[in-house]
Amino acid sequence: MASIITATVSSGLTQQADNSGVLQLASGTGNLVTVPSVTGTAMVSGNMPAFSAYPSVAQTLSSSTITKILFGTEEFDTNNNFANSTFTPTVAGYYQVQGHIQPDASYSAGVVAIYKNGSLYKYGSYNANATGVAPPSMSCLVYCNGTTDYIEFYASVQTGQSLSASSTFTWFQGCMVRGA
Amino acid sequence: MLYEKIKTLYPELTAEDFDFIKGTILLQNDSDGKGDYIAKWEHSLPRPTQEQLDAVTGA
Repeated sequence: MASIITATVSSGLTQQADNSGVLQLASGTGNLVTVPSVTGTAMVSGNMPAFSAYPSVAQTLSSSTITKILFGTEEFDTNNNFANSTFTPTVAGYYQVQGHIQPDASYSAGVVAIYKNGSLYKYGSYNANATGVAPPSMSCLVYCNGTTDYIEFYASVQTGQSLSASSTFTWFQGCMVRGA
Repeated sequence: MLYEKIKTLYPELTAEDFDFIKGTILLQNDSDGKGDYIAKWEHSLPRPTQEQLDAVTGA
């Protein structure tokens, strides 16, 4: 039971009311969402891009050179917005993106970073000449306009070496958390 | 590699000079097949020319 507002090609907007206190919105005949009973902004899911990727081969980084990390294998890419190791969402909004690298050899210093439109956006965890440190990770929020904005993941290690290509060790993910 | 070539030209440079965040020299590679390049050079030493880098062998 619910009150339903429906948009159709033939009738335009129609409504069907009851006393359930539940509101649903319908687009056409097959798509129906229930409006959450919340105060403030309600999010309706359905077209929110999300992706997860990892390297298809072990990439070798030069010493002290911040390098775009290549992610040739996708675990999922719900809206086909991830290609050539670059996330270019086609829905405008705010995105949570995160990534991690795992150097194959001993590791003492490095950093990871999110680049937006080819420029540094945020640095992640940063290690400088320490011992026993964990490889760097990061997570941040970034706005994308849904057309031209694109996101890449970069990393640098002080001593050049290869990165693990395992999906559990070196990865890049992102998802939309709020529309524009 | 570019880092090794620069170190050959300027052995006095330290890891701190190439520090990812606080250093005066930033090397970058966009994984587009064009290789490593100097994205930032704010060190007091003169920025090496391409000819100088090309002349370095064994690095």
